[in-house]
Amino acid sequence: MVRANDESVSKLDTELRRGAVVLAVLSQLRTAQYGYSLRQALAQRGMPIEEGTLYPLLRRLEEQGLLASDWRISDGPPRRYYTLNPNGTKIFADLTANWHALVETMNRLLD
Amino acid sequence: MDANAIIEDYVNNVAAKLPGRLRNDIGLELRTLLTDQLRSAAEEAGRAADAEMALEVLRQFGRPDEVASRYVTPGFELIEPGYAPTFVKLAAACVAIQWAITLPLVFYSRMTFPDWWLHWGFSAFAWVGALVIWFAVGSWNRRRAAGAQGSGASLLNLVFWLPGGGEWRPGEPQAAERRAARNAAPLGAVLTVFFIAPAWILGHLLPAGTNTSWAVYDAHFQGALLPPLIALMVVRLLLQAAVTVNARWRAPTETIRFGLRLVFVALLFWVVFAWHIFAFAFTDAVFKAWLLIFLLVNSIQMIVWMRRASIQVRVPKHLAPPK
Repeated sequence: MVRANDESVSKLDTELRRGAVVLAVLSQLRTAQYGYSLRQALAQRGMPIEEGTLYPLLRRLEEQGLLASDWRISDGPPRRYYTLNPNGTKIFADLTANWHALVETMNRLLD
Repeated sequence: MDANAIIEDYVNNVAAKLPGRLRNDIGLELRTLLTDQLRSAAEEAGRAADAEMALEVLRQFGRPDEVASRYVTPGFELIEPGYAPTFVKLAAACVAIQWAITLPLVFYSRMTFPDWWLHWGFSAFAWVGALVIWFAVGSWNRRRAAGAQGSGASLLNLVFWLPGGGEWRPGEPQAAERRAARNAAPLGAVLTVFFIAPAWILGHLLPAGTNTSWAVYDAHFQGALLPPLIALMVVRLLLQAAVTVNARWRAPTETIRFGLRLVFVALLFWVVFAWHIFAFAFTDAVFKAWLLIFLLVNSIQMIVWMRRASIQVRVPKHLAPPK
């Protein structure tokens, strides 16, 4: 029973975080990042995201017109850097406002 | 195999499952990302990267086919999840019915089991393919209608017996079926006139001298059954016209419509199996084949109609208010 509960909590927690992943990613792409550095940045701020989820997400966000990307060669192999484009910046601002409103609402509900 | 070779093999596996235009770009990026990941894992472990470490990184990343599917923008669903149980039930029922009807041939005729399998057993799976097409057309129709106003009722809905997409309105989906029937009424009227005397009409429409004897009715059928069948078709059209003019259906007209349809379908089933419709054998066989499909679709629609009519959410006794 305890194990079943743990599994349920884990699944629900995953669901809860899933909705926030896009906003979390956008927040870190105000400066250009490549996949691995982005994952590190998110993990360091308490938002670890599986690499198998994160990297395809970057591609999809670019396809949806929120991100711009380019290949850069610095130290090591060529890396694809992603950053918010003007449209992504606007959407990020809108989502941030929605997020704050949601947090406020949830806080009222949970108090 | 060393760690880099394992990663290379994995990247190639993912790339092979990607569309051509994305293959190289994603493959190149993925290789860099996994190499970064492996380097980080080696630093954490305090030793050089090895095969075991590479396999662990890749295991966390996921199977190549799963990873490839995450990179690709989701396409459309041929069978929507909500319809999947219905699809499975229908497909199983179609295959089972064909087998149940034809398998006795092995026991009561000279047909051997391998012959049965080649002729009837294996061909039953064609139903599954037909149903996939049917559900796919339905899925496409709902997507098409999703952005449009109204219920998406159309001739397509009627022919393929599809629930319409678009906004739900009170009385749906019956109302959508009625609108589709109303839209199809002109075609029904043309067919009714045509079936009164097909050979005579074709003789006037086609160039002079064209042989239309293949469209002549069987004399027995024409004398005994054609008049009541045409009368039924006319009554159905009149009912449709009356309801269209009044712009509303009431429960009694709905019941009359269903009753007429039941009589019509039962009569046609009897005709298909017990009568010659056309004098010319080939025309008779081809027309009956199409008529049978029409009757089967109609029968399914009526079963669904009856089932739908019988479904009503009731308050269980223990939740009912005290009298």
